[in-house]
Amino acid sequence: MAETRQRERREPAPEPFLNDRRLKYIGLTASVVFTLVVVGFLGLILYTQVNVDRFVNIIHPQFINAFFVVLQIVVISSVLSVIGGVLVGLGRISETLPTRGIAKGYIEFFRGTPLLFQLIVIYSGIPAFWPPGQFPIENFSIPAAIIGLTLNHSAYIGEAIRGGVEAVPDGQMEAARSLGMSYAQAMQEVVLPQAWRNALAAIGNDQVILVKDTSLLSVLAVPEIISTVQNINSATFDIWTPILWAAILYLAITIPLGKFVRYLEARADPAGGRDR
Amino acid sequence: MSDPLVEFEGVNKYFGETHVLKDIDLAVDAQEVVVVIGPSGSGKSTLLRCTNRLEEIQSGEIRLGGQSVIDADVNYIRQQIGMVFQSFNLFPHMTALENVAAGPEKVKGHSETKAKERAQSLLDRVGLSAQVDSYPAELSGGQQQRVAIARALAMDPEVMLFDEVTSALDPELVGEVLGVMGDLAEEGMTMLVVTHEMGFAREVGDRIVLMSDGKVVEQGEPESFFENPTTERGQRFLSRLL
Repeated sequence: MAETRQRERREPAPEPFLNDRRLKYIGLTASVVFTLVVVGFLGLILYTQVNVDRFVNIIHPQFINAFFVVLQIVVISSVLSVIGGVLVGLGRISETLPTRGIAKGYIEFFRGTPLLFQLIVIYSGIPAFWPPGQFPIENFSIPAAIIGLTLNHSAYIGEAIRGGVEAVPDGQMEAARSLGMSYAQAMQEVVLPQAWRNALAAIGNDQVILVKDTSLLSVLAVPEIISTVQNINSATFDIWTPILWAAILYLAITIPLGKFVRYLEARADPAGGRDR
Repeated sequence: MSDPLVEFEGVNKYFGETHVLKDIDLAVDAQEVVVVIGPSGSGKSTLLRCTNRLEEIQSGEIRLGGQSVIDADVNYIRQQIGMVFQSFNLFPHMTALENVAAGPEKVKGHSETKAKERAQSLLDRVGLSAQVDSYPAELSGGQQQRVAIARALAMDPEVMLFDEVTSALDPELVGEVLGVMGDLAEEGMTMLVVTHEMGFAREVGDRIVLMSDGKVVEQGEPESFFENPTTERGQRFLSRLL
């Protein structure tokens, strides 16, 4: 009894200086300061650096053209790299040693060398097999861009798929095989749908990087967004007006893409996140 | 005397250096319920997993209806052998109905309508009429395991293998699964059951097989086995249960 009373009377421990309330104010203050700095900087740029007439009238058509070139390359490479990635990923988990080795070598090469290097190999290296001027594809820059982006991103998606498959418990394959399904059937009906769901976040992440990787295509003379910025800058000596356009256009692809991936993730979760 | 439905003859299985099944001879008659008991690590589960070739054996022979399981096409032979796992292994991206219909539809090539009608009646039979459209994550362990039993039954197997199917369940859910298994036994299904549920073994089993250290050390009818085990190993195992 006496002991209990003593405990009740004990002084509360002294509060540390960084208590929860103070921490909240510090965070709030930091956010406000950060927002003010960013807004102020943007305002400063818009007010002093961006020419509104040029933004709307002169530069507009060139950027729209670049935007659709980039979008076209992104859509095609994206679809092809997901298909390629599934193949690479399946090769990576194959029980056949040569298949597994080739897939591993593929991934090591395309993840281990810069995309810029790969693009140059394709764009300049492949036509070198023909006598000068004899290369049959007339405008090779966009095909080369699509090939390069596809080969490169297939390696990353392949790794995502491999991780997704490995995260599926062995019991799933065993249960499917125990019903009499072949390896291919069990993969298709049971393992891959689950692996796809596991890999979706990583694949979505990679597709956003693919969009940003199009900026490297300026070295292939593809009329994409960064080269448009540089062209306009050298013609007008104005840098901030085209930069603003470039930022808007990249975000116009990446933000909806991110939303689309989150939609796919929600759809791939069968019970809609309901759990017992 | 008719030939046994499932027959093990001199079966040996190694995991690397470890000899897990040692010269197993065992026969299961049609419509018989054989319950395999024994301490963990004695090779009970491995024996089941060798039966449908989830594990390969190193020597010996396993026959189903007189036909060698080892020489048969593995996907064909597995259709005759239903397997239920300790960890359910339901397909999480399919509803209960789709889980049960998947085998007949994908393996036997039945139409979706036919497969789903059959699945519906099997789910009725295991008492899950109301849960057909639920995903595994929305079901209790006992319900999941009953779906898994229905999924195995959907292939119309000749024999059902049960691999410690109640070991992962909360105690209050064990009864519903054992109940379904008891009904199956009564309907004449041939069953090879690995379990730690001695009450079930005694009540439903036609024969008890005690395994220890990779060998069958004693077998007999439940009454005589549980009342008067003849071997010293059997007496020791039973005394530890009490």
